Amino acid sequence: MAQHSLGEFEELVLLMVAALHDEAYGVSILSGLEKELGKSLNVSAVHVALKRMEDKDFVKSRFGGITEDRGGRRKKYYVITALGKRVLDEQFALRNNIYNRIPKISFG
Amino acid sequence: MKTTPPKRSLQFLRWFCREDYLEEIEGDLIEVFGREVEDSPSKAKWKFSWSVLKYFRPGFIRSFSNSNQFHPMGMYKSYFKIGWRNILRNKAFSAINISGLALGMACSLIIMLWVFDEKGIDAFHENNDNLYVVFHRAYYDGIIDGGYANPGLLAGELKEAYPEVKVATSMTLSNLYSFEANNKILKESGSFAGPDFFSVFSFPLLAGTKEHALKTTIDIAISRKMAEDFFGSVDAAYGQFIRYKNMKDMKISAVFENMPSNTSMEFDFLLNWDTFLEENDWTRNWGNNGVLCYLVLEDGTDREAFERKFRDFLNRHEDAQNENFKVKLALQKYREQYLNSKFENGEIAGGRVQYVNLFSIIAGFIVLIACINSMNLTTAYSMKRGKEIGVRKVVGAFRSALVSQFVGEAILTVLLAFALGLLIVFAALPVFNAITQKQIQIPIGQPYFWLSMGAASILLGFISGSYPALYQSGFNPLKALKGSLKFGSGALWFRKGLVVFQFALSIMLIVGTIVISKQVRYVQDAHLGYDRENLIYIQLEGDLGAKYKVFKDQGLGVNGVKTISRITDNPTRIANGTGGVEWEGKDPNSFLPLTYSAVDYDFIKTMGMEMESGRDFSPEFGSDSVGYIVNQEALKLFNYKDPIGMPLTLWDTKGTIIGVVKDFHFSSLHNNISPLLFRLSEGIEQGWVLVRIEPGKTKEALAGLEKISKELNPQFPFTYKFSDDEYQQLYNSEQVVTKLSNAFAFLAIFISCLGLLGLTMFTTEQRTKEIGIRKVLGASQISLFNLLSRELFILVSIAIVIASPLAWYVMNGWLQDYAYKIDITVWIFIVSGMLAVLIALVTISFQTLKALLTNPVKSFKSE
Repeated sequence: MAQHSLGEFEELVLLMVAALHDEAYGVSILSGLEKELGKSLNVSAVHVALKRMEDKDFVKSRFGGITEDRGGRRKKYYVITALGKRVLDEQFALRNNIYNRIPKISFG
Repeated sequence: MKTTPPKRSLQFLRWFCREDYLEEIEGDLIEVFGREVEDSPSKAKWKFSWSVLKYFRPGFIRSFSNSNQFHPMGMYKSYFKIGWRNILRNKAFSAINISGLALGMACSLIIMLWVFDEKGIDAFHENNDNLYVVFHRAYYDGIIDGGYANPGLLAGELKEAYPEVKVATSMTLSNLYSFEANNKILKESGSFAGPDFFSVFSFPLLAGTKEHALKTTIDIAISRKMAEDFFGSVDAAYGQFIRYKNMKDMKISAVFENMPSNTSMEFDFLLNWDTFLEENDWTRNWGNNGVLCYLVLEDGTDREAFERKFRDFLNRHEDAQNENFKVKLALQKYREQYLNSKFENGEIAGGRVQYVNLFSIIAGFIVLIACINSMNLTTAYSMKRGKEIGVRKVVGAFRSALVSQFVGEAILTVLLAFALGLLIVFAALPVFNAITQKQIQIPIGQPYFWLSMGAASILLGFISGSYPALYQSGFNPLKALKGSLKFGSGALWFRKGLVVFQFALSIMLIVGTIVISKQVRYVQDAHLGYDRENLIYIQLEGDLGAKYKVFKDQGLGVNGVKTISRITDNPTRIANGTGGVEWEGKDPNSFLPLTYSAVDYDFIKTMGMEMESGRDFSPEFGSDSVGYIVNQEALKLFNYKDPIGMPLTLWDTKGTIIGVVKDFHFSSLHNNISPLLFRLSEGIEQGWVLVRIEPGKTKEALAGLEKISKELNPQFPFTYKFSDDEYQQLYNSEQVVTKLSNAFAFLAIFISCLGLLGLTMFTTEQRTKEIGIRKVLGASQISLFNLLSRELFILVSIAIVIASPLAWYVMNGWLQDYAYKIDITVWIFIVSGMLAVLIALVTISFQTLKALLTNPVKSFKSE
């Protein structure tokens, strides 16, 4: 598991990339997360997470077309890789497993 | 107005951010900014900047050290290829450029080889650190006279007197003597030397030991050449006897290797010192100087302290000096003697080293001229490469890369030129060696040679490539691509300055060449005061000395012989001085020496001299053995109004003056004619027979004289010298210098002209259209020629103005060595200037005429 480590914020970004599917790029991920978390984030944090995960082969990227509101700069779209999906699944399974072991006692 | 993201932050981001991330990050930042700017522009800006700052972290900062991550070797390969193609493309330009450089380098290389050879002379002696030659300073009549001639016993006594002296040896100048062995009679040249000679100097012995080589009066050491000449081999010669001057049998106690080319000494045999003293008793007298003295000091001796100690050594000998004639001794490093052997006021003041320095400077000049050529041509032709430079710059070449490219090309050119130059040197060295009588070779086997040549080539490449590189790399890429590149006034001035400089150097060399050849011709044609044509010298040897009278009587009967006389010294260089002359009213404190020699009857007539008053020595007057003939200089000294019959005393022999001979030159024209005195030589059996021959009958006369000589003196080969040859020999070094300076001046001018040719080719090409238009509009060819050559004419004129005073100064200094010299007239400068202008015009006229004669239609069609 060590080589497939995934930080908390990275996990969130990865989930968002997977959720947005073909529409995930810096700003869309950022606004998606901001909406879910209900707080404002800095775009640089998203980029840092994306670059790290790209290095770990959890996501891959491609350039999109030129759009007006970016001053002629191309968007960079991210999609989750098979490895990324597996890590996400494992992470989810791990949490689920442990969660399910919580005894059904009332938390009074 | 739309608010834009803060520029500074964006610039900062672009500066530090990895290029592969930049577009994405910039795009996302701008998009975020675009959303937020509507709420609050200032907050959006602040947030933008803050975000940028947050990217300033390891994963996002580009690596600055490897900003040129392209492979440099590939770039160098491309430079090399482009450089090579450029050389091939402009063939004429490259040929001129490379051949100019090659000639310049070859020339300098030869000079440098010569300089190193000169500096290496006498460098091989093992004792060199402590090896000195003794010279003296004589103080008399308010002057100080320096010289290497010393008393005959000095070396031995110095060794005895001072513990600091490790070994010492005397030596004479070399002389020709006849030897006989194995039924062969040959004349060999050699000297007398002290028994420790081979311990002082490191001449390798092939047979014998250095301790016993010259120990006793019958010992002789001979060279390998002499051993082979007489006995066939070194081994056969060793221990054999050889008859010296038909007087004495000498035992060959050592055979030494032939003199190497890097020694200043020349001898094929050495005889023991006591033999010399026996034959020349006069040198035992401490007042007589005539031999050289060398000594080796013990290691660690303080030279100055020793000099202070031994300086007054001659005080011990009464004969050597008196109150008004003081002699002090001094030392000079033996290694330095060869290049520095001229005395001025008792101090050593240069000598051959001046020529060495002069030629070193010329070598520098020639290389400089060649470099300037290259610079000038490259700069001019850089126009043609404007597009290349423009494209390189647009694509992103740094200026430093362009500079290194062009400097690299220059180095490539220089290396090609060096290879060519080396070939030229190979071809030219035999000729050069013949002129300078040396055996200089290219030290091909020496790594230091290649190292220094490589370093020199790179340095030259840097020098000749630096300006063009800096200039070209500064082109404005826009203009360069548009083809509207023009030389700035700075570059034009620089090029003109270079041409002026080049021509100034060339003109200086022309002036120098003219002055040197004029002086040498002046010396060669000088009226010496005697007739040196049809005059021969025969050295008195063997029985000829005693049988001189018979020889003269019989010789006068030979067809073609006019008169015969005799003199104790070679009349071309009489050098004996004596202070022992007394006359009426002489200042008792004066010790100014008179040159003297002893001559026979008919001397004045035979030499073809003129008398001012009085008469020649003649057998008709019985009293001539106490008669003296003096020259006009001597008469000035005596201050006699009517000199004939006035008293004169030489070495206590009272006599009278019987004649005054008009001044004549008896040494080289470097020296003034000094006071001279002749006495009658009756009873002296050495010296030279002088024979005056009728013009055109030399052959008959020589044949007749040889026959008589063979009869009278069968043991000795008949040899003779022509007076004129003897005189020319005095100026051997001048003649070498003349030939060399002619060659170098010619080369310097040739190289300058090559450069000029290249420049003209370029400018006429550039102006083809202009010339065409002018012709169509009716310009005459003469006016066009003026147009094209006027600038050059102005430049050469400026060069003349700059070069003339400099050349005058240098050559005037050179002439100071001569007591009799030419005047440097304005004509020399006018001729040199005209020559320079003429050469320049001829050089450019070919190109210019071609441009003028081309049909203008062709020049318009050139696109």
